[in-house]
Amino acid sequence: MFGLIDGNSFYCSCERAFDPTLRNKPVVVLSNNDGCVIARTHEAKDLGLKMGEPWHLAKKRPEFRTIIAKSSNYALYGDMSRRMYQVLTDHAPRVEPYSIDEMFLDLKGMNIDVVKWSSDLRSKVRRIAKIPTCVGIGQTKTIAKLANAVAKMDRNGSGVCDLSSPETRKVAYQSIPLEKVWGMGRASVKKLEAMKILTVSDFLTMPEDHVREMLTVTGLRTYKELQGLSCHAFSLTAPTKKSLACTRSFGRAITEWEDMRQAIVTYVSRAAEKMRRHNLSGAAMQVFMHTNRFNNDPSYANQVTFQIEPTDDTFALISSATKAARSIFRQGYRYSKAGIVFVDLFLKAEVPAQMFSTIDPIKSAKLMNALDSVNLKYGRNTITAGGVLPESGGWSMKRGNLSPSYTTQFEDMMSVIAI
Amino acid sequence: MFMLRSFMNTYQGDETTGFQSPAQDYIEQIINLAEKLDLRKPNLYPVRVKGQALTERGIRDGDILIANAAADPIHGKVCVAMLLEEPILATLLFRQGIWWLQPSRKDAFPVSEQIEVWAIIETLVRLKI
Repeated sequence: MFGLIDGNSFYCSCERAFDPTLRNKPVVVLSNNDGCVIARTHEAKDLGLKMGEPWHLAKKRPEFRTIIAKSSNYALYGDMSRRMYQVLTDHAPRVEPYSIDEMFLDLKGMNIDVVKWSSDLRSKVRRIAKIPTCVGIGQTKTIAKLANAVAKMDRNGSGVCDLSSPETRKVAYQSIPLEKVWGMGRASVKKLEAMKILTVSDFLTMPEDHVREMLTVTGLRTYKELQGLSCHAFSLTAPTKKSLACTRSFGRAITEWEDMRQAIVTYVSRAAEKMRRHNLSGAAMQVFMHTNRFNNDPSYANQVTFQIEPTDDTFALISSATKAARSIFRQGYRYSKAGIVFVDLFLKAEVPAQMFSTIDPIKSAKLMNALDSVNLKYGRNTITAGGVLPESGGWSMKRGNLSPSYTTQFEDMMSVIAI
Repeated sequence: MFMLRSFMNTYQGDETTGFQSPAQDYIEQIINLAEKLDLRKPNLYPVRVKGQALTERGIRDGDILIANAAADPIHGKVCVAMLLEEPILATLLFRQGIWWLQPSRKDAFPVSEQIEVWAIIETLVRLKI
């Protein structure tokens, strides 16, 4: 038996946890650079604001003038997700963090009234991690996901939906459209619609062979999962990363090489830090930059991918990345975005020894270790490679309405007024 | 480089260059206040006090309080409550079967639907006395 617990409008709920003026108000959270709407409270949904809408256009519409928009504050959301996870692990034997706001619960062998238990769990998460949630229950992950979606739809409901009994499922499936099903892509839904297969129960009347033929083995897995046959096991380890990227849109367009160099150095430093945290080493790198495709700026886009000596050494990686960036940088353009991607990652332990290594692995490991521990202890960017500018560099992210990092920065702690 | 070296300085009273340190088998870690406060617990939130109203209870402007969101409300404890416009710090009372918030110089008011008792204060940290 699986449970899926999911934070309602998660990013908005994190903002609301510390700011009572946002309660019962339409609130949205914007993507990097305050671009698009990436989270909405139900009050904002009710006004007709769509997910992904560009905010610079939406905010001009009179019906949206009451909406409060916040810049994304991932330091805060990450910490609130951590709190939610910890509350869950205190009560469920196994918890799988599937995304920042959704966690699978393994309810196997728990001799309890799951609905009541889930309902108690919701109140604990609400009280301790400050996040309102919904819980879905089912024999498989797909059913649990679906049950969660059903629980979400009923705004005044109990917030818990149990689809573990075949009878309840049968009834529910008749009115659930296929697009609500986890793993059911838009193309598959289109294909099935053409055959008048619209609901989950329509889908389950299809013969198995036919499903496999049309939707391959992936679709067949969804089909079986919907019937209650588990194909997606509980997982307690994150998959090994195959690639790792650090890319950003600039707050304002960049025209000078020096600004571009600083951006690249910053991105490489971030990515290298991430690589070390996951014990990975990069063997190939891609560097790209381009101008804004959506305005009238003269257009230029280029990228270069190249092999490097496998390493996680910030300084070695910076030197390769800036050389590559220099080779594709053209003066006279207004760059809107750049980034670096490590495309060929190994677990560090599996990297073959280098015959003609230019990097002393022990010295480098010591230095990187010191770098990371200082930055961890005294805050990001305490020690950096030459060329990394503090985030005020002008090209850094636009975050016009950023909330404080209430739980992760000493200076940003929530203030409480003694009355 | 100089900065890095001073951070990496690892002498703990154990490894000496001349005379062997008699303390080398007895080295303990320094007292770890962060561990004692255990801020990794999901229910603990550090908050900062603004204002003098609770000075008589020993809570001063600028103090850091550790608020416990999992604690049950207790009569007489100081709590963080979310009023409509801001988070406040007041004393929690249980009277006539309901919960009240008692400001220091005004009348108590009942905890209504609009108010959330957000966490109970358990610990005070003062960096400068």
